[in-house]
Amino acid sequence: MNKFFTKKFSIISFIFIPIIFLWHPNWLGFLGAQPYWPLFWLLPWSMINGSINGLIFGLFLGLILDSLTLNESFTQIPGLILCGFLFGRIKLNSDIFLGHFRYGLICSFGSFLCGTLYFLQILFRNFSDSNSLMLIPMVKNILAEVFLTGFFAPFICSQLLRMFKFSRRKI
Amino acid sequence: MLGIRRIPTSRWWHKKKNWQFFAIFLFLVFIRISKGALYKDFYYFISKPFWPGQFQKEIVLESIDQEYLIKLNLLEKDNMRLRRILSLQESSNDEHISAAVISRKTGSWWRQIILNKGSKDGIEIGNIVVGPGGLLGRVTTTSLFTSSVTLITSPESKLGVWVDRIQINGLLVGLGDDLPSLILYSKDADIKVGDFVSSSPASTLLPPNIPIGIVQSIDDTLKSKKTAKILLLAKPHVIDWVQVSKVNI
Repeated sequence: MNKFFTKKFSIISFIFIPIIFLWHPNWLGFLGAQPYWPLFWLLPWSMINGSINGLIFGLFLGLILDSLTLNESFTQIPGLILCGFLFGRIKLNSDIFLGHFRYGLICSFGSFLCGTLYFLQILFRNFSDSNSLMLIPMVKNILAEVFLTGFFAPFICSQLLRMFKFSRRKI
Repeated sequence: MLGIRRIPTSRWWHKKKNWQFFAIFLFLVFIRISKGALYKDFYYFISKPFWPGQFQKEIVLESIDQEYLIKLNLLEKDNMRLRRILSLQESSNDEHISAAVISRKTGSWWRQIILNKGSKDGIEIGNIVVGPGGLLGRVTTTSLFTSSVTLITSPESKLGVWVDRIQINGLLVGLGDDLPSLILYSKDADIKVGDFVSSSPASTLLPPNIPIGIVQSIDDTLKSKKTAKILLLAKPHVIDWVQVSKVNI
């Protein structure tokens, strides 16, 4: 049983991303925004398994997360696919200390990318209505999300990367 | 003599891994089409030990008393008006279901809450959700054990509202922040900070006179319309118990 969990850790952790996404703890937030949880999993997964795997699991994550949110007209899939692909092209760094901060920077960039793509969809949909009213809260959302994602990424991504590597070794 | 034959195992459909990916993809498409019902029900069971306790009900009851006082004033006025107009349609919302909030997204892009009552408890799409203070939103999807509510702060929410003091209808639009915007399509509307906003008697989505909020600031820089920021009476980021009402308009 223990061996099974160790070997399948990456898939088991994948299943729990939507649960954390739903949990959405307020005390972890900043200006009402939360870190963009799926990127914490997608970064180590793509770095280990490559661009194509990152792209596929970006699509899978997008499908699940879209089903949990009520905004029928907007989707998170393009952002996550793009992030999964880009993250797969990043090489692992041997310097542990530098690697930690790199994760923060990369996740911040990914969060900015996903947030901007989502924002553009909202803007495009409400083009004729009152987009000028929406601009300020949306930009605030993106910046708060980018900050939080970058802040937590070094802690979570490096741990997940270590665990994914451990689960891939021959037992 | 013999030609070199292609090895059949080299085809993509002979690889087990590709079929596994395809099966996962189909499963995820199923989850997407069912609007995450499986996940929400799973979340219902694992979050059960952390649901808000009974003590919360006392705080909620106090707030409900305050809400009822405001509501009573509105209903009295409304009643007098309706007696004058005998041919008006009757609205009834006598069925209330109490539910606890088990997941909330009140910041960021998604403005929604998930309740611990679903289709098995009689909740239907389009039901209105009221918390201590006033209107929170409308039920958008239901699963067997849970229901998801789009808050009035969501960018997807657009509701007809009524400004009681100046007797005018307006449109309440969610902007993705805590203060939705009231749009009045009349430049001459004499709206003031502190005006009370409730659901519109003309709305086809909501029953009339549900308290919504108070005008916090006014922007009259636009040429053809007036907009105002509305401070909501019900606070979705702190409310743990809500009431779901069926709407028969």
